[in-house]
Amino acid sequence: MRVGFVGFGAMGRPMAEHLLRAGHALSVWSRRPESAAALVAQGAQWRASPAEVARNAEIVCTNVTGSADVEGLAFGPQGLAQGFAAGSLHVDFSTIAPSAARRIAARYAADGIDFVDAPVSGGSAGAQAATLAIMWGGKSALATRLQPVFEVLGKGIVHVGATGAGQVAKACNQMVMVAAIEAAAEAARLAAASGIDFAKVRAAMLHGSAGSRVLEVFGGRMAAREFAPGVEARLHHKDYALLLDEATRLGAPLPVSAAVGQQLNALMSLGWGRDDTSSLLRVLEAGDQRDSAR
Amino acid sequence: MKVGFIGLGLMGRPMALHLEKAGHELHLWARRPESLAPFAAVNAKTHASPAEVAKHAEVVIVMVADAPDVEAVCLGADGLASGSKSGLIVVDMSTINPNAARSIGLRLASMGIEFVDAPVSGGETGAINAALTVMAGGKAAAFEKVKPLLEKMGKSVTLIGDSGAGQVAKACNQILTGVGVLAVAEAFNFATKSGVDAGKVREALLGGFAYSKILENHGQRMLDRNFKPGFKAWMHQKDLRIVMEEAHRMGLMLPSAAATAQVFNAIVGSGMGENDSISALMLLEKMSTPE
Repeated sequence: MRVGFVGFGAMGRPMAEHLLRAGHALSVWSRRPESAAALVAQGAQWRASPAEVARNAEIVCTNVTGSADVEGLAFGPQGLAQGFAAGSLHVDFSTIAPSAARRIAARYAADGIDFVDAPVSGGSAGAQAATLAIMWGGKSALATRLQPVFEVLGKGIVHVGATGAGQVAKACNQMVMVAAIEAAAEAARLAAASGIDFAKVRAAMLHGSAGSRVLEVFGGRMAAREFAPGVEARLHHKDYALLLDEATRLGAPLPVSAAVGQQLNALMSLGWGRDDTSSLLRVLEAGDQRDSAR
Repeated sequence: MKVGFIGLGLMGRPMALHLEKAGHELHLWARRPESLAPFAAVNAKTHASPAEVAKHAEVVIVMVADAPDVEAVCLGADGLASGSKSGLIVVDMSTINPNAARSIGLRLASMGIEFVDAPVSGGETGAINAALTVMAGGKAAAFEKVKPLLEKMGKSVTLIGDSGAGQVAKACNQILTGVGVLAVAEAFNFATKSGVDAGKVREALLGGFAYSKILENHGQRMLDRNFKPGFKAWMHQKDLRIVMEEAHRMGLMLPSAAATAQVFNAIVGSGMGENDSISALMLLEKMSTPE
């Protein structure tokens, strides 16, 4: 299939490579051409603009940072919308506001172009191993067209509902995951403050009812005091603004998420935004003057 | 003085009338013409657009709902900026994001228009009694020119600092009042569920370190079960959203305000947004064992 791809960060690059290796004819564009150079060397076709990518693809995938980035790519000057033929499909893997996804889909619909929000979970490791969880929102009839793309990128592929539903699922994913990271950090802090080795506590917990992927991965990083990303905490911080904003808009109370959001604010303030989110442990330590803190 | 006034809602109407009573000539524009009805019999001229108001006034006061509204009135099509003479002072008394206020101020300044952010505290009662607390941000010279007007609407008028500083002070005010109202509601529900008369608790606490105007006034309304606004819960929710947006932008930890904002989400989500903020008490009661 002729597939376009824009957005070659820690997630996007391995995803695009999988598509290329699966035999798809890949068109790429990037604001900074050097970030697409490796893909072009592997056989991807460089295009001069998002519009050119859209002209040469039936499906265009994007994986960028925020709502404004996706909207800019789609509708900005030389944007995808200018190159898409009617019946084309834009699949956005970015994590953005559900309302932004709905707005983009509505704007495309006027020109007969389909839009699918398909945020992913699993981090750069999941992207490299092609084991991402993909949660998508959009017309269910699009499933067969999406399958050849999704199947080379991820394992758990779930059609959640109409446009925006994928982003709602992603918001739920982030809430549950980061709250669990904070819980692991608090457990680590309680253990350390009690003079007990958290690595042992973690090992014991992993086999009990509190065992979880987060405790394994992020708890492991905390035990090893290994704070290199992983997932850059600033991205989780960004996601919390989105989900707490939705909570306000919907009048839905999220007391734990709001508290976790404040810990993330403190993390940003302390300068660890580009470190792993397991740095939430260091936020708890930052408020503690005792020698046993570290 | 020739004073423009845009935003004649619950707060704006009595505020504008105070200025007229003090002898100022009002120049008005309203999105909904019916808002102009109370001004038919007074010294007020109505105009077809904010731009027309700006042409006729030396100072324009804006009192609308949120940042996009302020932006539209000031900088939109037929906005104040498109009709202004140089030297115009725009005083925005709405409660909006401090960062948005700074940005509007900068853009107006580039067109030779002074901008003062001057949000208020005191609610509709304060507006009717000309007893508002006004917190201003902007250049001292512009503030001094508009201070006599602000004093006709408020009892306490303070220049806090540069552009945006008034909105920062208002955000601080909303942290304290939001968390304060919730604290009183929690204390009263705690007392009642413990089988203790909340009214007696209030009376006893008023003499101690827990004394506050909120305990006194909001507390009394909770005891009277008078949930009429006052200050509507959805507006408090909006103001806390502004606070939390700024906390996120700056990477600031505000744990109590964050928790309180979630309670306000629940109040609005459960359909009590048009009630007074003290509906926090009803929410806590709904989430407790019935008596």
